[in-house]
Amino acid sequence: MALLSVRDLRHTYPNGFSAIKGLSFDVTAGEFLVVIGLSGSGKSTLLRCINRLLEPTSGSITMNGTDVTHCVGEDLRRHRSSIGMIFQHFNLIGRHTVLDNVLYGTLGRTPAWASITRKFTKEQRDRALANLDIVGIADKAGVRADSLSGGQQQRVAIARALMQEPSILLADEPVASLDPATSHSVMKYLERINKEFGTTVICNLHFLSLVRQYASRVLALKSGEAVFEGSPLEITDEWFRTIYGDDAVEVEIR
Amino acid sequence: MKALRTVFALGIDVLVGAYVTSACLFIIMPAMISDSISIPSPYGAISVSIGSILTLLLSVGSKVSLGRAVLYGQLPTGRARSIQRHLAWITFVVTVISGWIVTEISPIEFFSGQGLAGAGRIFGALFTPEFDIIGEALSAMMETVFTAFMATIIAVPVSFVLSFAAARNVMATDTTGRIVYVVLRALLNIMRSMEPIIWAIIFSVWVGIGPFAGMLALVVHTIASLTKQYSEQIEDVNDGPIEAISATGASRLQVLWFAIVPQCVIPFLSFTIYRWDINVRMATIIGFVGGGGIGYLLTQYQGLSRYHEVGMLVIIITAVVWILDVISARVRAALK
Repeated sequence: MALLSVRDLRHTYPNGFSAIKGLSFDVTAGEFLVVIGLSGSGKSTLLRCINRLLEPTSGSITMNGTDVTHCVGEDLRRHRSSIGMIFQHFNLIGRHTVLDNVLYGTLGRTPAWASITRKFTKEQRDRALANLDIVGIADKAGVRADSLSGGQQQRVAIARALMQEPSILLADEPVASLDPATSHSVMKYLERINKEFGTTVICNLHFLSLVRQYASRVLALKSGEAVFEGSPLEITDEWFRTIYGDDAVEVEIR
Repeated sequence: MKALRTVFALGIDVLVGAYVTSACLFIIMPAMISDSISIPSPYGAISVSIGSILTLLLSVGSKVSLGRAVLYGQLPTGRARSIQRHLAWITFVVTVISGWIVTEISPIEFFSGQGLAGAGRIFGALFTPEFDIIGEALSAMMETVFTAFMATIIAVPVSFVLSFAAARNVMATDTTGRIVYVVLRALLNIMRSMEPIIWAIIFSVWVGIGPFAGMLALVVHTIASLTKQYSEQIEDVNDGPIEAISATGASRLQVLWFAIVPQCVIPFLSFTIYRWDINVRMATIIGFVGGGGIGYLLTQYQGLSRYHEVGMLVIIITAVVWILDVISARVRAALK
C-alpha cells in the first residue's frame, strides 16, 4: 500500500491564483521522490499541501490510509509532526542556540506550557545531540544559529526535522541558496537519511544534474499539472524542453 | 462610488468658500476696522452662503475645485488652473492673517520696555536659582522619574499580551480574530488620541492629586502606544520561522512563542526604553494638572511668582531629561 496517496489535488490561493490543477500520484515508503519544474509550477504549494501548512481546495491526500485533506486541531498537529520539513532559507530561530533549534522539532508532541518553560526531557536533549551528530555539527550545539554558514544552518534544519522522527521528509528547494559544493554535502545527508533510516524523502529541486544523482523517481510539474513521472534516467532532452520550455539550457552542477 | 467622490470634493469646495468668507467677515474685518463693529447675523449668514455658492458654482461650472485637487490630486489645465491657483493663495493668505489676529501676535508688546524688563527679571531669576530647595526639588524629580518608570513597567506586560491580538498577521486567520483585531485597534486609537493630560485630570479626581494619578494616566497612554508599536513589529516578522515551527506540529501558542517572540524581543526592548524616556517628560507635564512630582512643585512656585525656585526646578528637569535622553539613545543603539 502506498505511504502517501494524492488524488486529483487542487489548490487555489485566496487571490484566485490556481497553483495546482488536478494532481494524482502515489509515494511508496523509502522512495526519494524529486519534484521538478519552473518557479511557479506548483512545487512548493504541493509540499505545503502534503504537510497541511496549506489546505487543499479539492481532491484528497491520504497518509497511511488516513484521510488528512481537511483535518484540524489535534489531528492536524499529529499529521504535521509526523512529517519533517526543511526550507530554502533554513528558517531557523537565529537568536536561539543550535541545540534549542533542534529541540523545537519536538514542539508538536510537547504540551505548550512544558515547552515554554523549557522543560525538555533528558531523552529529548540526548536525541537532539545525537541528531546533530548525524549531520556532523554536534560541536556547534551551544552557538547561536545565525552565526553558522548557510550549509551548516541547513544541516541544523535537517536535525530539527529528524527530531520529529518523521515518516516523510519534505525538502523545499533545500540547496537553492547554497553554493555547489555545500549543495552536494546537504544532498548527501538527505540521501543518507533516506538510505539508512528508510525515511521517505520528497524534494523540490531546480538542477537536473542533482536530480539524476539523487532521485529514485521524478515528478515534473508545469503550471500545476504533472507532465512527467518516472525514473530520472528517462528524462531525455525532449522531456527537458517540455518541462522547462524550448529556450531552456541545462545547467550542470557538480 | 464616483458620485460619492464628487460629493466629497464638492463638500470641501463649499467649506472653502464658507471658511474664506467667514474668516474675512468675522475675524479680519472687525480687527481692521474696529473691535466694536459687528455684522448683523442675517447679513453674515447671507454673505457666507454667497461665498460657498460661489465656490460651488466654480466647481460645478468649471474645473476649478480645491476639493478635487486635495482629495484626488486632479488639477485642471489652462485658465482654470490659474484661477484655482489664485483661489488657493487667497485661502492661504486669509488663513495667515486670521491666525495672526487670533493668536494676538503683537511685536509692540514683545519689544515694549515694560515687557523687556519683565523678561530680564524672570531670566535673571532663572539663572540665579534658589539652591535652598535642592533637596525638595530632587525628591520631587525622583517621584517623577519613578512615576514614569512604574507606568512603563505596569504597561509592558499588558501591551505585550494585547499586541498579539492587535497584529493582523496573527489575527486574520478567521472571522472572530479579524473582529477582535478591528475592535482592539479602534479602541487603542481612541485611547491614544486622548492626551495623557486629560487622563491625569480624570484620575486626579478619581484617586486624588498625587503621583498615583499621574502614573495611572501614563499607564493608559503607554498601553495604547506600546501595543501599537509592538503589534506593528509583530506584523513585520519574517514568515519563514512561523512556517518552520508550524510544520513541526506546534500549537498556535507555541508558534507565537518560538517563531514570533524571538524576532521581536530586541525591538520591543528598544521601544520600551524609549517609552520610559518619553514618560519622564510627560510625567513632568502631567504634574501641572495634579499628577504629582516636579511638575506639581513647579506650578506651586510659579503660582507664588517665586522665580528663583522655578529656576532651580527648570535646571533639574532639563538636566535629568537630557541625561535620560542620552542614556536611552546609547542603550537603544547598543541593542541594534
